[in-house]
Amino acid sequence: MGTSDGQVLGVTRIVEGGPPEQRWNIVIVSEGYRSDEMAQFATDAKQFADTLLAAAPFDRLRAAINIYRVDVTSTDSGAKDPKKCNGTGAKPRTFFDASFCSNGIRRLLIANNGRVTKVVGKLVPQWHMAFLAVNSPISGGSGGPVATFSKATGAVEIAIHEMGHTAFGLADEYEYYSGCASDKGHDKHSKSEPSQPNITTNKNRATTKWSSLIQAATPVPTTSNANCKNCDPQPSPVAVGTIGLFEGADYFHCGVYRPEFDCRMRNINRPFCAVCQQVIVKKLTPFLPA
Amino acid sequence: MVARKSVRKPKPRKAARKTKPAKKISKAKARKYPAKGPETSPDTNKAMRLTFSYDGDDVKLLSKQRTDMILPPSDVVKGYGKYKGFWAEVRNGSDKTLYRTVMHNPTKNDAEVFPESPDGDISREPAPKRKGVFVVLVPEIDNGEDVILCRSGSKTRGPASGIHSLAGEPAKEILRLKLKK
Repeated sequence: MGTSDGQVLGVTRIVEGGPPEQRWNIVIVSEGYRSDEMAQFATDAKQFADTLLAAAPFDRLRAAINIYRVDVTSTDSGAKDPKKCNGTGAKPRTFFDASFCSNGIRRLLIANNGRVTKVVGKLVPQWHMAFLAVNSPISGGSGGPVATFSKATGAVEIAIHEMGHTAFGLADEYEYYSGCASDKGHDKHSKSEPSQPNITTNKNRATTKWSSLIQAATPVPTTSNANCKNCDPQPSPVAVGTIGLFEGADYFHCGVYRPEFDCRMRNINRPFCAVCQQVIVKKLTPFLPA
Repeated sequence: MVARKSVRKPKPRKAARKTKPAKKISKAKARKYPAKGPETSPDTNKAMRLTFSYDGDDVKLLSKQRTDMILPPSDVVKGYGKYKGFWAEVRNGSDKTLYRTVMHNPTKNDAEVFPESPDGDISREPAPKRKGVFVVLVPEIDNGEDVILCRSGSKTRGPASGIHSLAGEPAKEILRLKLKK
């Protein structure tokens, strides 16, 4: 198990923005790819890079970004899939020991992140964001210092959502914890202002975090939840893309607001909302060429 | 397997977002639309990569690594005293905050669980046995003395007590170390 079950082959820059000392550096590392599957990893990494750079606002920030591919082989394909989570019981020998069923949660796919960061730190010392691409068709992933994702449909979207957390400090914008119907104790957010830039408890038009982006004609709050015991079922009363204060976010039904009705930090198949995009642009502007 | 049916009420998702064609933006133009607040860019291309381990609520420094690289601008360094969440700061000898980076709490004792289908709902599950590592990048500012980690505690009452994600109290300092030693 572990590093005896594979080999670090090397690093390849697959998107060239400029010198790594001056650019924002993303690294994609392979896990659970056998040596005869490394060409597939190269394809998967390129597909990931293409998807990321097609997503707003990264499509406008390409010149600020380097993307590296770190090739690491494993003895076997895939990731562990324990039977205790109704998995197949597969126990492939892989370099980073990726496994589904972390904490008994089938789709919580976690690897040895300490080992990943060591490998990345040696090959790309200027790395800002690391991803671990796990060669498994089973749906799963996780956030943290290394955003881990599988090859299931939508997994890349999961990884980009996780990057919103890890690299840009964005909060979740969904207003429930385990689910609207099953939530207990998620009626009202505390009055403390969240540190994240895309949620707020401040419903004052003039002083709320994204006040400069709210049009004068937009009502504030833009939506209010009439029944805090549940998620707000109402459709958006304003046009798609309108920035305002929509009640419900940060795992609470009421008392906390998000900037748009929908966003990638709320649903993984949506684009980032304008406020999240603004945060990302601000964070990556210093990395643009002069 | 967390085989969950969608439990959220239906909401209108079908309306396509208005998208504008992608175009490159200049540094000057990007600066016209800053996020609100007195952010400052670190005036250095020297950074320190700090790797921490966590096990439950315990956080320990594992390693420091100096690197020549630039970092994103600071988040707000004033007026955040009662904010909740998780962040790292660089402070000077007078304990004034010079740089601050807001983070999604990397020591959370719950986990985000994603749907089988991209159209499904994300949800969260308690994961009380989580442990691992996380990385903080801070600039090596000339007069930077200390690095501080701040975190809100965990929810103290109710069905999900003990969960960091649901903490309602302002963050407090949980760890302090010297930047350059």
